[in-house]
Amino acid sequence: MKEQWRFLTTGYNNAFFNMALDYAILSANRERKVPPTVRFYGWMPSGISIGYFQSLKEEVDIEQCKNLGVDCVRRITGGGAVFHEKEVTYSIVVPESHPSIPKNILKSYSRICGAIIKGLDKLDIESKYMPINDIVANGKKISGNAQTRKENTVLQHGTIITDVDVEKMFSLLKVPNEKIKDKLIADVKQRVTSIKHEIGKEPLFGDVVNALKVGFEEEFNVDLVKGEVTEFEKNLAKSYESNRFSKKEWNFRR
Amino acid sequence: MKANSTYKIPKGKLLKISLEHNENKEVIDKISIMGDFFAYPEESIELLEKELKNVSLQEDILSKKIQSVIEKYDIQFIGLDCEGIVKGIMMCVK
Repeated sequence: MKEQWRFLTTGYNNAFFNMALDYAILSANRERKVPPTVRFYGWMPSGISIGYFQSLKEEVDIEQCKNLGVDCVRRITGGGAVFHEKEVTYSIVVPESHPSIPKNILKSYSRICGAIIKGLDKLDIESKYMPINDIVANGKKISGNAQTRKENTVLQHGTIITDVDVEKMFSLLKVPNEKIKDKLIADVKQRVTSIKHEIGKEPLFGDVVNALKVGFEEEFNVDLVKGEVTEFEKNLAKSYESNRFSKKEWNFRR
Repeated sequence: MKANSTYKIPKGKLLKISLEHNENKEVIDKISIMGDFFAYPEESIELLEKELKNVSLQEDILSKKIQSVIEKYDIQFIGLDCEGIVKGIMMCVK
């Protein structure tokens, strides 16, 4: 029998809870309270997440986020600022010792991205891993990913872009030089794609999730079995949300 | 005195340094090492920042110091390296 991992779909939640739940799953798995887990989720309201090492003030137009009702959160993973709107977000939590997870961090990015690539293939989108942490289709970015390892447990989360509004994105993210903003927007339009752009219509959230689920099952040779967030994880997530991810001290610490 | 730099690491990520130093640009008073890179464990970047306090603003000394901190805490960078951090710091004082 194939190894069974837990499959979670947690629907749309706010930025703070989303990051808190990923962390709670990591903690629960580390304590061996839950099996390796693949979670799919969305963002409501739309959010911006910044990498662990970034400065929120430097990367994000906070006033504009307030105006548009966009929440901003610092991730526990490195990487860049992401505007989360029309996308499917995944997270995978698995012990570092799992035989399918390469010890080498960059290799493990590639391995986990393999699941996303197989999933996109189910949607008739050919894509490939582009180091360090992107997946590209027809040479354009369709997915960004970020990984942390804590206490011998791997958490990788990432976004699969279903549709993208580059103008809106750049009304929220700061650009190094306002004078070249138009050029930057034009560049990014050339460099970023979406499922909608690739297949000609905006996909259903559930269809993308189902395709990615099969991608994970094939890449890791496991069965993803539908499960629930445990009480332990719920309580922990609430605590992480109120004590860390929604706190100014966390989000503005750098 | 305060200074900032932005440096794209070759084949890597965008490093942003915010530096406070004394009037004669001799030593680091305070430093923030920011950007869209990856470092494992993440908390080690704060340890590195602390260890760089009062370190001389000379390329070779900085490089040795950063290298020793990387080894001490077994830091693994992706999209960033010691050379890049030194460059980012020196750009702040040039």
